[in-house]
Amino acid sequence: MPPSRLLKHKGRPRHAPDAQWRRGIGDVALGNSLSADIAPIANALILGLSIASIWLIAALGLAIIYGAIGVINMAHGEFIMLGAYTSYALQSFFGLPFLLCIPAAFIVVAFIGLLLERGLIRYLYKRPLDTLLATWGVSLVLTQLVRLTFGSDPKYIAVPEMFQSNVQLGFVNLSVLRIFVFALTIVLVAATAFLFYRTRFGMQVRAVMQNKEMAASFGINADRVYMLTFALGAGLAGVAGSLLGVLAIVLPTMGTAYVVQAFLVVVVGGGTILGSVVASGLTGEFQSVLAYVTNETFARFLLYLLIVVLLRFRPAGLFAPAKARR
Amino acid sequence: MLLGLDHVTSFYGKTPILKDIGFDLHQGQCLCVLGRNGVGKTTLLRTIMGLTDRMTGDIQMSGANISTAPTHQRAKYGLGYIPQGRQILAKFTVKENILLGTFARSDGLGEVPPLCLSLFPYLAENLEKQAGLLSGGQQQQLAIARALATNPKILLLDEPTEGIQPNIVHEIGQTLRRLNTEFGITLILTEQHIKVARKLGDAFLMMENGRIVARGPIAEMTDELVERHMTI
Ligand SMILES: Nc1ncnc2c1ncn2[C@@H]1O[C@H](COP(=O)(O)OP(=O)(O)O)[C@@H](O)[C@H]1O
Ligand SMILES: [Mg+2]
Repeated sequence: MPPSRLLKHKGRPRHAPDAQWRRGIGDVALGNSLSADIAPIANALILGLSIASIWLIAALGLAIIYGAIGVINMAHGEFIMLGAYTSYALQSFFGLPFLLCIPAAFIVVAFIGLLLERGLIRYLYKRPLDTLLATWGVSLVLTQLVRLTFGSDPKYIAVPEMFQSNVQLGFVNLSVLRIFVFALTIVLVAATAFLFYRTRFGMQVRAVMQNKEMAASFGINADRVYMLTFALGAGLAGVAGSLLGVLAIVLPTMGTAYVVQAFLVVVVGGGTILGSVVASGLTGEFQSVLAYVTNETFARFLLYLLIVVLLRFRPAGLFAPAKARR
Repeated sequence: MLLGLDHVTSFYGKTPILKDIGFDLHQGQCLCVLGRNGVGKTTLLRTIMGLTDRMTGDIQMSGANISTAPTHQRAKYGLGYIPQGRQILAKFTVKENILLGTFARSDGLGEVPPLCLSLFPYLAENLEKQAGLLSGGQQQQLAIARALATNPKILLLDEPTEGIQPNIVHEIGQTLRRLNTEFGITLILTEQHIKVARKLGDAFLMMENGRIVARGPIAEMTDELVERHMTI
């Protein structure tokens, strides 16, 4: 299920502690003073931005792993799911405050990603099709393991009190939680871009991406770069998971829904960080505005259609470097 | 002895390309590796860097056995590689390409070493230029600067004058001579230009079909020998 769908989940038990806040990205309330014409469109645009930020976090890790290592990680959705369960477990069993659950989810899921890379993925780098199958298999195993551990009933992550209010921004009334998600998205994207474009580690990654043999000839351990990049991508998925977990419900199968959107963002964006940012913004806005004009299902249909047409003319995505295009 | 190869056989897939190679190299020497196209000169340098699929035999560097060390560790023993075709990272700037070399340093220097800039004024003035936009000769300078940034004991140069304008060939020859005599950097150089080899080298290896067929001080590289192993 895509995020906006999940948020309207009907089967949610009434005793959910924070039911009214779980609307997350759907809760744009507009000030009364506003003219009736602009309000619905502003509403749709802002909803689009929040959809975009969620897709972006989910897509960022995927884009890093694909862009730097060339691995299409079919288990990425399950990394998101593990992030959500990590936060849920730490909050419910150990009483960890939600704000600490987010970095904890990063560390836990990054570590799981690291184990997966060391134990399996690294043996398959020369066989892309096998990575696809292997990571898909891993995704099934992870879903099943979580189901066996936590059961298949939905779990909830409590929203901290400080996020349970609204603020007036211009003429639009926004929930603090949504602003927090949006801000954290910006921080994560900026931090990732900084890491890749401004640090020695980032330079190692970019060197390995361009020419692995040359990178190795100048002392760069490509194996280590792959390992850390994979762990980083997984960790980002973990963060996405804890945020999604607080906006929607936590289920063993939740990853599958989000990862479809994340793949779309990566494909449309061409696998770069900047491409993912723009692509998630565009697809999020498209989806939201189309949904305003028509309805949710038809909007998604139109979005997919647009993407298919786009890929017909730009097979390498919107932002692929010129020579990669054909 | 700085570098020593002993009974080295090197493979691509299951095919041995280099066969039973052995030689010693001393500090400050300039060794020229000669031979026609396809005899295995590039493969020899790649074998020293650990870039072939597999090798047997021994490679010693400064007393350590590096035969099984992965490429990124070999770089840190003091091997500066200037590959055939230069292999500049086209998306990196000139500065980033030079900085790439610093990952092989043991002193942790993370800046462009002054030597790279003083040897190549053009690079010094165009540090932010994208490397893919440089001319062939400029890219060769950059490849040398990048290898120098590793603070190497040995430079491995694979046909450094290939495809470069004659006036720049001379310039690069002079730079290499300075590095060898003034800075005491040991060189292994593959060449098609006999003239450059004679000017720079003090020892030579002649290769044929993956084997060494003649060797000695450069003075012993007679025209007859060149005729036999290098004309087509
Ligand atoms: N990557 C490779 N895989 C398989 N064979 C190769 C590879 N590179 C070179 N060879 C073969 O090894 C032999 C030596 O090539 P090379 O070392 O490039 O010669 P040279 O540099 O002297 O011109 C050639 O016959 C070439 O076809
Ligand atoms: Mg060659």
